Amino acid sequence: MDRSILRGAFVLCALLVLTWFCAAPGRAEPAGRCIVFHAGSLTVPFAAMEKDFERQYPRVDVLREAGGSTKMARMISELNKPADIMASADFEVIDKTLIPGKARWNIRFATNQLVLCYTEKSRFAEEVNGDNWFEILGREGVSWGHSDPNLDPCGYRSLMVLQLAERYYKKPGLYERLLAARPKANIRPKSVELVALLKTGNMDYAWEYLSVAVQHGLNYITLPDEINLGNYHYDGFYKQASVKVTGKSPGTWITRRGKSCTYGVTLIQDAPNPEAAIAFLAFLLDPQKGLKILEDMGQPPFVPCRVAGQEMWQTLPRALQGFVEVKE
Amino acid sequence: MDMGKRPDLFRWLTVFSGSVILAFILLPLLEMMAQPSFEGLWQTLNQGNVRRAIWLSLYASGLAALISFVVGTPFAYLIARKNFLGKRFVESVVDLPIMIPHPVVGIAILSLAGRGHWLGQVMQDLGIRIMGSVTGIVVVLTFVGIPFYINSAKTGFESVPDRLEKVSRSLGASMSGTFLRITLPLAWRSLLAGMIMCMARAISEFGAVVIVAYHPMTAPVLIYERFTAYGLDYSQPVAVWLIVVSLLLFLLLRIISLPGRAKA
Repeated sequence: MDRSILRGAFVLCALLVLTWFCAAPGRAEPAGRCIVFHAGSLTVPFAAMEKDFERQYPRVDVLREAGGSTKMARMISELNKPADIMASADFEVIDKTLIPGKARWNIRFATNQLVLCYTEKSRFAEEVNGDNWFEILGREGVSWGHSDPNLDPCGYRSLMVLQLAERYYKKPGLYERLLAARPKANIRPKSVELVALLKTGNMDYAWEYLSVAVQHGLNYITLPDEINLGNYHYDGFYKQASVKVTGKSPGTWITRRGKSCTYGVTLIQDAPNPEAAIAFLAFLLDPQKGLKILEDMGQPPFVPCRVAGQEMWQTLPRALQGFVEVKE
Repeated sequence: MDMGKRPDLFRWLTVFSGSVILAFILLPLLEMMAQPSFEGLWQTLNQGNVRRAIWLSLYASGLAALISFVVGTPFAYLIARKNFLGKRFVESVVDLPIMIPHPVVGIAILSLAGRGHWLGQVMQDLGIRIMGSVTGIVVVLTFVGIPFYINSAKTGFESVPDRLEKVSRSLGASMSGTFLRITLPLAWRSLLAGMIMCMARAISEFGAVVIVAYHPMTAPVLIYERFTAYGLDYSQPVAVWLIVVSLLLFLLLRIISLPGRAKA
């Protein structure tokens, strides 16, 4: 009798301990630092997301680091800088630099488009519009710029817009003519850095993403979907534009073809804090939360977000699968 | 016995702290210098834009040191010799460029040079361009380097005894004659050391330069561009060359200023 009570108590204890162990991971909420590397053009929406996310998960501290997407990816792949999440302005950067060594999947979550930004101080600010911008950029004394095509996707996309404009407006030679009028000094490593040049009156016009123009309160000219690289229905037309950018070593070149601006995000394989990272990704991909913030800031999201294939979808963390569909 | 031991212990402390500091500075640098292959280094040196960038860095920062010398010397003399109301404040202002974050320096200079500012308008009318020009780079480098020159020159002038100048003046030499024939010959080593410091600080500047001028590229900007576009393998050799060239140059300048110290 005594022994069976003892045994019963023991089993009960064992069960209790077991359930506690099983329940523990579920109960423990994400905590600690979550390092997010992201494209410079995502800085403002990601800062807003950080605030909302940290309110929801007070024990997580989101540390963001912004820069040109290619550079940020290199920080991870070459310098082994610890990071949990990488969000790139061009989803292909993740495919090229991080998969398979540093990442396994690539979720496309937002789009953007190119606009021509200016301020009230810019030359011919009062007459510029959607029909004459390409003529004004070529005028004497007008200074305009774009970011470095070799370092920043926004840079080669700006050049592509000019090429597409030449076709769309049927102005042969426009691209060459405009580039000849743009001194090398007007190139900057990242497109966001051009904003400072516009605002200090050192430059009249600059190519930026729509989101950057909205977030920095710049005046801007929107372009037809056929040339703004913002609508993937026109990928067939965009494909006609091509820009030569530097390859893997100095003196080598690769060709980038026109394509709609598509943002990608991934979880880094050896992420120091995967729990917090997955929680942040779930927040980002949620149409009511992260994607809504993007929408409000001029960066149309994909609802739902997309991965390239069923196989990749299988490798996604459970918590994210619900937010993602398979679509080429 | 005891008395003999104590200085010993202290000497060991000095040697120990010296080796810690040397290791602290040299280990990371040697690690970086050892990475690139000889072939890579050679190839890098043969690239025109690398040579141009290193030359531009040396040239622009040398010019910054020269400007600091010309403009800063009389001012350093004034601070060293005279007491006036607000002297402490003026000295703090001179030190400001050391503390201000570099990108802020770049943006501040650009906002003066912009079309919205009268100074920018005047410069534009005169055909002076700051953004993306060597002029702009030299302006930035002078801004960040000049405090080092002025502080060193000031210390140099302070170490020249006042009475020597007074003797010279009492014998009928003019103020400028006294300065050129008495003060300058006694203080020139400090001035040279100040120019070396100023130039060294200028060569290393990146954050402010990249805002004002990405093209033409100085060596630090080229290193950044290489790292971003091609990765570590192609940026490190440039860094190695920059370090080697700067080291040789500064060693040479130090040697020039050495014999005097031995005499003293």
